[in-house]
Amino acid sequence: MTTATTTEALVSGRRAPASVHRRRRPHKEAWGAWTLMLPYLVLLLVGGLVPIVYALYTSVQKSPTLLEPNKTGFGGLAAYVKVISDFRFAQSFKDIFSVLVIWLPIMIVAIVGLALLVHASPGRFGSIMRFIYYIPGALGGVANLMLWVYLLNPSQSPIAGVLHGLGFTTIKQVVATPGDLAVILAAMLLLQGLGQWVVTVNGGLNSLPDDVLEAASLDGANAWQLAWHVKLPMIRQWIGYAALLNLAYGFQLFLEPYLLNQVAAGALPSEYAPTQLGYWFAFVGSDFPAAAAMSIIIVIITLAIGLVVVFRSGLFSVEEI
Amino acid sequence: MKTSLGVHGKSRLSSVTTAVATLSIAGLVLSGCSSAGGATTSSTGSQTDSGGKITVWVDAPRVPAADAFKTAHPEIPINIVQIDSTVGATTTQQRFAQFDAAKKGWPDAIFFPSNDDVAWASKTGYTANMSTDTPDLVAGYTKTALASCYIDGAYRCLRNDAAPDVLWYNAALFKQWGYTVPKTWAEYTSLAVTIAKDHPGYISGFTGDAYAPNRYLWASDCPTNVSVNPTTVQINLQDPKCTRAESMLSTLTAAKALSTDGIFDADAAKVGQKLVMSPGAVWWGDYLFQQTWKLPAKTMQASPTGLSWDGTTAQMGDEGGGLWGMSSHITGKELANAETFMKFVVSDPAWQVKLSTGLPAFTAMQQPWLTKQASNDFYYDTAATLATFAPAINTVPNDYSYLLYDTGGEWTSTVAKDLAGGKDFATAWTDFGTDLVAKAKAAGYTVVTTK
Repeated sequence: MTTATTTEALVSGRRAPASVHRRRRPHKEAWGAWTLMLPYLVLLLVGGLVPIVYALYTSVQKSPTLLEPNKTGFGGLAAYVKVISDFRFAQSFKDIFSVLVIWLPIMIVAIVGLALLVHASPGRFGSIMRFIYYIPGALGGVANLMLWVYLLNPSQSPIAGVLHGLGFTTIKQVVATPGDLAVILAAMLLLQGLGQWVVTVNGGLNSLPDDVLEAASLDGANAWQLAWHVKLPMIRQWIGYAALLNLAYGFQLFLEPYLLNQVAAGALPSEYAPTQLGYWFAFVGSDFPAAAAMSIIIVIITLAIGLVVVFRSGLFSVEEI
Repeated sequence: MKTSLGVHGKSRLSSVTTAVATLSIAGLVLSGCSSAGGATTSSTGSQTDSGGKITVWVDAPRVPAADAFKTAHPEIPINIVQIDSTVGATTTQQRFAQFDAAKKGWPDAIFFPSNDDVAWASKTGYTANMSTDTPDLVAGYTKTALASCYIDGAYRCLRNDAAPDVLWYNAALFKQWGYTVPKTWAEYTSLAVTIAKDHPGYISGFTGDAYAPNRYLWASDCPTNVSVNPTTVQINLQDPKCTRAESMLSTLTAAKALSTDGIFDADAAKVGQKLVMSPGAVWWGDYLFQQTWKLPAKTMQASPTGLSWDGTTAQMGDEGGGLWGMSSHITGKELANAETFMKFVVSDPAWQVKLSTGLPAFTAMQQPWLTKQASNDFYYDTAATLATFAPAINTVPNDYSYLLYDTGGEWTSTVAKDLAGGKDFATAWTDFGTDLVAKAKAAGYTVVTTK
C-alpha cells in the first residue's frame, strides 16, 4: 500500500534524530531519568517493594490456625502448600478468570473503538461524546456499587421490566443465578473504567503527528482506513498500556464481590476472588503466612501475564516511541 | 530492521524493569494487608488500665443499650462504637486480628454481631473468664440459657437474650381457612404443602438467611456444630437426625412452601405479609412481625406445644440470642467499669425490660419483660403467646456449639444461593455438606462423623 509506505517512512524519519540524540548524551540523560524517577521510586519502595519483601518473609513462616496460634518460626513453603491445596484456591482463580475473559476483550475493543470514534468526530460533538463517556467512570468504587445495587434490584430498578421478564423477583436471584455474577462484575468493571480509558487513549490519538494523518488523507485514505491502517497501529502501545493496567486492576477485584455478597444476604461465595481468599486467610483464619503466600502467588501470576502483554504490544520499547 | 540487536536487547531489559515496577503495584493492596500481620497468640499479654474510660462495640440494635448505660452511669466515661451488624460479616474479626497483631486496641466490651464470633474471640484470648470475673452474673442464668457461652470449660460471655424457636402461626388465617395447629414436624410439613397448594403465594417459612440452619437443622439435633474436644468437631449430614430434616426441607422447597428469601432481606417485609406459619425465634414477634414487617395486630400467635419429631417432646432450634463479651486485656478501674457495663446490659431493667426486643436470658428479668410485653396487646392471644416463650428455652437441643466455621454463612452461600438460583434442594444440600466440612478443616479442626 502506498499509504502505509509513505506513512512509515515519515514516522521513521521523525524518529531517527531522537535515537541519535539519545545515544550521544547518555550520561546526562541517565541523570535526568533518575531525577524524574526518584519520587516514584520512593513510593514504589514504601508502598510496593517493602510490603512485597515483608510478604515474602511472612509467607515462609509457619502457618498457624486459631487452634494452633503459637506456631511460629521458619516454615519453608508450608504456607504455599496450604494455600494451593486449599479447596477454594483453584475455584477462586477460575472465578476471576471467568470475569476477566468476559470483561477484558469487551473493555479493550470498546476503549479503542470509542476513542477512535471520538477522535474521528471533529469539534464540539467529539468533546461532548468524550465527556459523556467519562461520566460513569466518575462514579468510583462504592458509588458505582450503589448504582448497580439499584439497577439490579427488581423492586427498584429502572430496568425492572427486563429483570422481571427474565424471571427475577429479588436481587438475590439476580446475583445468585449460576453464571450471572461474572457477567455482572464484568459489566460493573466496564462501566466504571471505560470512560477514563477512552479519555486516556484519546489523549494518545491527539498526540499523533498531524502530518502523518494528513499524508494518509492525501494518499486517499478515508476515515475508516485512516483509523484502521494508520491510527490503530500507532496507538498499539496505548492499547497495551490499557490492557496491562486493566488486567492488574481486574485481577485484584475485591470490593465488588465482597459488597455484592452483603447485598445478597450472603448468598454468594464469600471467597469468590483470590483476593477474598487471601482476606479469609488473614482475618478469618488468622493465618497471615498463608495470606502472604496468597498475595505472592497473585503478584507472580499478574506479573507473568503482564509481561506477556508488555512484549506482545511492544509496550515501553524505546524504538517504537 | 529499524534498530540494532544491541539496542533492542537493552530496550527489552528496561521494559522488564519498568514492567516489574509497574506491576509491583499489583502486590500493594494484598501485601499491605499481610504487613499488618504476624502470628496471633492466645496469651493475654499485659493488662492495661485506662484510668476508667471504657470503649464498647455494639451493633445497631444494641446502641440503645449502650446509650441507656450512658444515661444511667454518667460518672463512667464511655466511647460507644457502632459496628457492622450483618450476621456472618467478618469485619469485626478483621479488626480483632489486627488488634491481636498490634497487641492493643481491643474494645472493653462487645456485642458480637454473630454468635459464632465468640468462638474466635475466646480462642484468641480476648474474652474474659466470666466465671471468675462476674460469678454473680453467671449465677443469674439457668444453665441452658447460658450454654452458648460455655466454651472449653469456662463461661466466656454473657447472654443478652434467649432466642429459642417457637411455632409462629397466623391465627386469624388458620381460623379463616380451618386449619389445625401442627404439633409435629411431619404435620407442619404436610400442612405447609397443603397451604402452598391451596393458597399459592402464601408461605410457611424461610430458607434464605443465616439462621435457617438453626431453625431446621439445630431443631433436628443434626450434628453440624458438635464440639468433641477443643480441636475436633463432629459433622455428619448422613446422620438420621440430619436426613429427616433434609427430607422435610426437600419436600417443602419442592412444594414452594418456603420463601427463598431470608428474614432480614429487604424483600422479606413484603413476603412476610404472606407468612402463614413458621418455626421462628421468640424475638420474631416483636422485632420482625411488629417493628420490621409491621404485620397487622391480632394475627400472629405462638403455639404452646412447639413441634416434636417423635410425637411427644417438642424440639426446636435457636436463632441467635446475642452474646456480650468482655476484654481479658484490661485491669483496675477500666476493668471495674467494664464489669459495671456488663452487669447493666444483661441485668438492668432500663435496657432488658424497657428497650430490649428479645426475651431476657437473665432469669430475673424475664417476668418483668413479659409483663411489659403483655401491656402491648399485639398478638392474637397475647397472654398465651407470651406464656410459650420461657418454656421454649428447654426445647432446644443443647449440644450445639458456636465454632470457628460459620454454619449460617455456609448455608447462605450454598443452600440460599442454590435455591435462589433455581436449583433443587438435593444439590443445595450436597453443596452445603461439602463446604461445611471443608470450612471446618480449613479452620484447623479435625472432623469426625461419630462422637
